[in-house]
Amino acid sequence: MTPVPELLASVWGSRQLLAILARKDFYVRYRRASLGLLWAVGLPVFQALVLALVFSKVVRIHTGTNFAVFVLTGMVGWTYFSNTLSAASTAIVDGSGLSTRIYFPRVLLPLVSVVANLYGYAITLVILLVLCPILGVGLGPGLLWVVPATALVVALTAGAGLVASALHVYFRDIRYIITAAVIGWFYLTPVFYPLRLAHGFVHAVVAANPVTGVVELLRAATAGVDPRWGWTVAISVGWTIGLLAVGTVLHRRYNRLFTDLL
Amino acid sequence: MTAVVELTGVGKCFTKYEDAPMLVTAALRLRQRTRRSSLWAVRGVDLAVDQGECLGIIGRNGSGKSTLLSMLAGVTAPTEGVVAVRGRVAPLISVGVGFHPELTGRENVYVNGMILGMGRREIDASLDEIVAFAEMESFLDTPVKFYSSGMFVRLGFAVAVQSRPDVLLVDEVLAVGDLAFQLKCYDRMLAIRDAGTSILVVSHNLNAVRLMCSRTGVMADGRLRFLGPTNDAISVYHDLLGEARELEPGPGGQVPPERAGAATIEAVEVLDGEGRATRHVAGGDRMVVRARLRVHGPVDDPYFGVAVTNESGNQAYTDSSRDLLPRPLVAGSDFTVEVALRAGLVTGSYTLQIGLTDGVTARLAASEPLPFFVSSRPAAAGVADLEGSFRLL
Repeated sequence: MTPVPELLASVWGSRQLLAILARKDFYVRYRRASLGLLWAVGLPVFQALVLALVFSKVVRIHTGTNFAVFVLTGMVGWTYFSNTLSAASTAIVDGSGLSTRIYFPRVLLPLVSVVANLYGYAITLVILLVLCPILGVGLGPGLLWVVPATALVVALTAGAGLVASALHVYFRDIRYIITAAVIGWFYLTPVFYPLRLAHGFVHAVVAANPVTGVVELLRAATAGVDPRWGWTVAISVGWTIGLLAVGTVLHRRYNRLFTDLL
Repeated sequence: MTAVVELTGVGKCFTKYEDAPMLVTAALRLRQRTRRSSLWAVRGVDLAVDQGECLGIIGRNGSGKSTLLSMLAGVTAPTEGVVAVRGRVAPLISVGVGFHPELTGRENVYVNGMILGMGRREIDASLDEIVAFAEMESFLDTPVKFYSSGMFVRLGFAVAVQSRPDVLLVDEVLAVGDLAFQLKCYDRMLAIRDAGTSILVVSHNLNAVRLMCSRTGVMADGRLRFLGPTNDAISVYHDLLGEARELEPGPGGQVPPERAGAATIEAVEVLDGEGRATRHVAGGDRMVVRARLRVHGPVDDPYFGVAVTNESGNQAYTDSSRDLLPRPLVAGSDFTVEVALRAGLVTGSYTLQIGLTDGVTARLAASEPLPFFVSSRPAAAGVADLEGSFRLL
């Protein structure tokens, strides 16, 4: 049992290590590819373009704003969340080569993914903000919503990653459950449709989805928000606090015992 | 002297799950508990290591040495007792932990150094020294996947030593790397020991332990069986090896079934020059092997023999005497026999066996192989110690 203040202090004390591990994680991923870092940018943009094409030309969803900006904004938040959660959930098990030999707070392992994916997040966000005026969406002081949106998505993802990574040590099914969940989760997140288009039960689920708040908060900066966005942000903050609390409790309990199960 | 490492009543129990916990069964509580069995890998260990002391830990495989080291490294928590380590610990449990193959040597030095608790500026300052020690100036900006295993070890060791740890944990890592680098590592470890770092060495290389550690603990079945001067610890360790009886039967070997039970050899012991029982003999010293021989059936032409086998299973020495025992031996006779030897052997573990044959070949009885250790001059190696003395003319 590692006391919570000690756990927090050890994370703070290891911030340089966290930063360098995250940078290593990010650079190593693309080092062998000849296009290198372009992939970090290209993939989410490509996915957003496909969605924008399909849902503006084929299915025709009306959002009342530029659809490409609408989708790309959603994708920025969703991609960061889903990629990071997938990577963070297996981080402790995947990091066993390191953690069975030397001690550092195990909580760093899922947090490394949270920080490493911020590079990709930042790049796509910048691209989005550059594209906005080109696609005819003017940016005003609302742009500042990006800051709380980023804080929220990082905290939310960290919380979810902490919980999933701790559980995955005990239940190795978690990896597959998350892979499956992310597929469905995407459609329950208002990435390519506005929240108001969901009705009844589906609306309740989409509104309760913690990522919805993130997406809405990002749209506050770019494409404009859904009328009920305040609620979704509040729900998202609630999830974040809950997940962070549960994650901290799990890591406090098992910090020094994870390796016995790797 | 202040104790930098202090273990009090430390125990570690591993729970082995007979079936992996399944999310569904656990969530639904279909079974109260998954089947499990527990194993105490380490139990009741009390140990203190002073600042600047180099302590050895030896023991057979599975005796709990590595678990003990993991607890010292903080990798796993003890189930009972207290592990107190003051200061920064650098575990060399395997060298180059966290080295990423795609990163260059330089990048890995930073990652590895920070894992070991160094700050960025600290690494900046000691990078040159690390590179010089690892002898790899020209490869520093090459991804480490192109490194030879020797380069890998050199760089890993250099970072660990350069991190100026208060406690250095060394687990059998120096088996890799060439002899020249190994000697360099030993020198460096002795240097940082003298500078105040405490070192714990876990090794099967008794010679390395003997050269580095003044005090050594012997682990057996998770307990610290002995803690004291290294020479005595090596003797105790060979006692344990004898108890384990997992050794190959030596050249005394198999007794044909028709003659089985004709004689038995028991109570074999090794005595040093002063007649004390020991398992650790200094090279070139006198040693006496004493055994008890019981004859159960008549033997026409008894030969009494001794064989010494080295670690690689080669016979270092065999000899026999036809004149020692009366001819023929009658059933029911009982002898205590002694063979005085000079331990003209190089440093290493040996096993000794006493045997009785009828004529030159027909084996009647062989003792259990008795392990013992010879410590000789460090540089001498091979089979026999011919006691070379070098002279410039």
